[in-house]
Amino acid sequence: MTAAPAVAPLPAAPDGTPAVQLAGVTRVHPPDVRALDGVDLVVPRGSFLAVMGPSGSGKSTLLHCAAGLDTPTSGQVLLAGREIGRLDETRRTELRRVHVGFVFQAYNLLPALSVADNVTLPLRLAGRAPEPEWVRFLLDRVGLGGHLARRPGELSGGQQQRAAIARALVARPAVVFADEPTGALDRASAGQVLDLLRELVDELGQTVVMVTHDPAAAARADRALVMADGRVVDALDSPTAAVLGARLVALGEG
Amino acid sequence: MLTGLAAGMARRRPASLVAVLCAVLGGSAIVTGTGVLLESGLRSDVPAGRLDGASVIVSADQTAPVPEDLDVGLPERRAVPADLAAELAGLPGVTAAVADVGFPAAVLGDDGVAPADDPATSGHGWSSTALLPGPQVDGAAPQGDDEVAVDASLAAAAGLDVGDVARVVVDGREGGYRVTAIVRPAGAGVLFDDAHAAELAGRVDLVGLTTEPGATERVAEAARDAVAGTDLVISTGGDRGDVVLPGVAAARSTLVVIAGSLAGVPLLLVGFLVAGALGVAMTGQRPELALLRAVGTTPRQLRRLVALQATLVAAVAVVPGVALGYLLAGRFRALLVHIGLLPDELPLTTSPLPALGGVLLMLLVVQVAARSSAWRTSREPVTTVLGESRTGPREPSRIRTAAGLLLMAASVPLAVPPLLVRDALGAAATSMAGLLAAIGLALAGPALLRRVSGGLAGRLPARSGAPGWLAVANLHGYALRSAGAITTLAMAVVFVLTYAYAQTTVADAASRDGAETVLAGTTIDAGALGGVPEGLAEEVAAVPGVDAVVPAADTTVLLTGTTLGDAVVEPAGALVVSGDVSSVLDLDVRAGGVDRFEGPVVAIGHDLARSQDAGAGDDVALTLGDGTPVQARVAAVYDRELGVGPVVLSADLVEGHRTTDLAQRLLVRTDGSAATQNRLAGLAASWPGIAVLGADGGPDSSTPPEVWLNVAVLVVLLGYVLMGIANALVASTAQRRAEFAALRLVGTTPRQVRSVVRREAALVSAAAVLAGVLLSAVPLVLVGLGFTGRPWPAGPWWLLPATAAVVVVIAFASTEVPARLALRTPPAEVLARAT
Repeated sequence: MTAAPAVAPLPAAPDGTPAVQLAGVTRVHPPDVRALDGVDLVVPRGSFLAVMGPSGSGKSTLLHCAAGLDTPTSGQVLLAGREIGRLDETRRTELRRVHVGFVFQAYNLLPALSVADNVTLPLRLAGRAPEPEWVRFLLDRVGLGGHLARRPGELSGGQQQRAAIARALVARPAVVFADEPTGALDRASAGQVLDLLRELVDELGQTVVMVTHDPAAAARADRALVMADGRVVDALDSPTAAVLGARLVALGEG
Repeated sequence: MLTGLAAGMARRRPASLVAVLCAVLGGSAIVTGTGVLLESGLRSDVPAGRLDGASVIVSADQTAPVPEDLDVGLPERRAVPADLAAELAGLPGVTAAVADVGFPAAVLGDDGVAPADDPATSGHGWSSTALLPGPQVDGAAPQGDDEVAVDASLAAAAGLDVGDVARVVVDGREGGYRVTAIVRPAGAGVLFDDAHAAELAGRVDLVGLTTEPGATERVAEAARDAVAGTDLVISTGGDRGDVVLPGVAAARSTLVVIAGSLAGVPLLLVGFLVAGALGVAMTGQRPELALLRAVGTTPRQLRRLVALQATLVAAVAVVPGVALGYLLAGRFRALLVHIGLLPDELPLTTSPLPALGGVLLMLLVVQVAARSSAWRTSREPVTTVLGESRTGPREPSRIRTAAGLLLMAASVPLAVPPLLVRDALGAAATSMAGLLAAIGLALAGPALLRRVSGGLAGRLPARSGAPGWLAVANLHGYALRSAGAITTLAMAVVFVLTYAYAQTTVADAASRDGAETVLAGTTIDAGALGGVPEGLAEEVAAVPGVDAVVPAADTTVLLTGTTLGDAVVEPAGALVVSGDVSSVLDLDVRAGGVDRFEGPVVAIGHDLARSQDAGAGDDVALTLGDGTPVQARVAAVYDRELGVGPVVLSADLVEGHRTTDLAQRLLVRTDGSAATQNRLAGLAASWPGIAVLGADGGPDSSTPPEVWLNVAVLVVLLGYVLMGIANALVASTAQRRAEFAALRLVGTTPRQVRSVVRREAALVSAAAVLAGVLLSAVPLVLVGLGFTGRPWPAGPWWLLPATAAVVVVIAFASTEVPARLALRTPPAEVLARAT
């Protein structure tokens, strides 16, 4: 392995394959709830996609299927060009920890581990040695350079979420999925987290897919999908909060 | 309002409350069972049996008063005045007043002695048939000194019918008697003409009165007035058994002693497990408790809520627990009877008192444990609780750690008694000291674990895999949770090692003392005849190869001493021998001698001599088994107290003070050759009812029955402890669902999660075994030094590896299964449910 540069670029798409691709993905929850109904979707590398929609519109299921956390009933999911729908749980986990980063509303940091250990955990699990410069860069970048030895319980919500973002990036994944990343944060912390995500896309070329119900958050994305009843009903490039808000009100939720 | 909330919370967390449920259920069973034994020991009614037809019984007092304590039962029969029956016959309402006597009598059949409950008192006068419950007489009264009546079961066993000539060994003399009647019910015994019986017995045991219908109380009152001023007592109803079978009644104190010796250790274990299970349950509920605090629940209300919840669960558990307690006590009594520690005639009481006591005690334990487990959560600032509410790591408190270390230190002096008191009581301190140290470990555990695991994490090889690294990190990070698992498992190790090895060490020392004491290679037992028959000793002594013969018997003496400044009267078993005792017993005599053990003399053990401040040639005061106080000269002071007991009495001293004066067995010292042994066997064959036993002397040198008792107690308590530990581990692993899900979302494969859990289990069980052995070491070294003079206990070597194996199996099984179950749910779903 060659020495990593201080600011490592993310692996560029060698052949231009999209980071994530969904084709005719349907997910039926027993007995007969169609959470996703024939969704087609392409997320190009280096783009920031927001997924919006009222509760029960299928946005979380879309995220779970795209990330390999859930398996579609029918259709294809390609992650960095590889079909993941047919893989078993262990193989999907292995693929996930290399190609996918996660940011959750509830942070989901491991309380027993320090910030630094939480961030490097995916690499350790994959049996890879953490690159110290890269970890250092990430933690500085998310503003936690001075808190390496702290435990999650000793951090504020915004700090925990930023640690979770650093953890999502540590394996240089093809895509970072964020599920309501600002849902549990105050306005100022939420703004910091959204700024950070935006900067990661702009500076590092990171692909980000974010589920949110907040039009202001979605307005930071390059593109916003609006979902209803398991289908993508609208796709807006360079959306504004006002337009997205109006669109959601039209769908019956503010 | 709180009740509904508590019930709702309890319903939402079934897994962790199952552990509480089981701990309380088992605990209430153990407490109730002990209570039943205690109550039975204090006041169970011995059935009046043979004399159930007598409404009122007048007898000597078969108890000895003890200052500021319960009376001690006197097992040996005390006589009543010979003319008492005549005096009482005149009382109004009395239909018959019968002077009852009892003496050794055994009926011989073609194939040996017809079995009787107590051959030493099977002979009675004919008039006692009037006192039988529902007597049926088939035949006529025996007359003169060559006729008998026998009860139906003896007649059947010996193949006798009216008119036959029965061979009966009466008071050691065999003779032929014509059978004049068969009497029912069984147990009536061998009945002789009254004048002949009185002559054989030489005393009157008691007077039984039959009364006109409904006159029992009136007659009892009148009898009480008639005997006022004497030490005679009047018994009616359930009290009669005590004076009919004084030996059985005296054995009740065994139950009190057993219940007393049980009280400490099981209560500690029950408290420990209930508190542990509640601690795990509270950890699982911290998020909810935090929310309740956030919406304005006061600390007091929160503790009440937690206590109420625990009480609800306990209320469900105590009902079957208490019922189980009665069953347990029944099984325990059966075991005691089987190993010979308790006479079969003694029943258990079945009053609701033990149940009430068990319920109250368990509710108290649960209340205290629940409130203290919620104490910290209830008192902390709301923000702290909320911040920690995801069952994250918590810092162990300093006070807790200090208290734990203090307890561990305090356990050392507590383990000292075996060095000073060489008896089972001294050894009981070993287990208590070990358990106290284990409780100290439970308190100080989290802080200690932090230290150790922190050091371990630093020293972990750089290339060790992620699961091992995570396991150590979890042990360190979740110190409270991990220490809970380690300390309960360590407690089980401490309990097994200290309890079992203390018992085996005492048993080993006792049996070695016993074996070294017995020079006699052979015992000839005459228990089936009620006593050694006349002429047997002389005939045995004449057998070529027999070097010495000493008749022996057992009785009870009451020793007055002081324990911790209080005067106590304690019954002790004592060997009765006479003649050249040194030819059959090596008592390891320190002063004096027992080669001419005659006259009113005793030999006493070294410890007793010290506590009585008496040496050879001095007089000691003691009370014989029938309550007679005597002064006896100390012929010798000996060392083998553990094997022989504290006192050996001369037959001359106790003559007239035992229910029968006959010896029960002969201690025979032979040249050890097979030929001599064969000659003895041949001789025994010509004496019906005589058994030749092997290398078994006065005191029992085979496994003492107390060992079986302790094994049974160990098994029951260990089962309870292991169940409690397994439940707590299952509950605490089940609570890790969210943690496992988070691990999986960052890329841990299910296999890796299981691997983490397994490594944790390995670390936990290793730490538990190590801690358990360390905590047991001091008490066991002390008990070894005290009893065997070596700094290690005696007992089977495999106990330690077996205990370690059980700990490992429990730790693995009770984390692997819930971990697998937790991994079945997709991680995203788990987290969706949690938020």
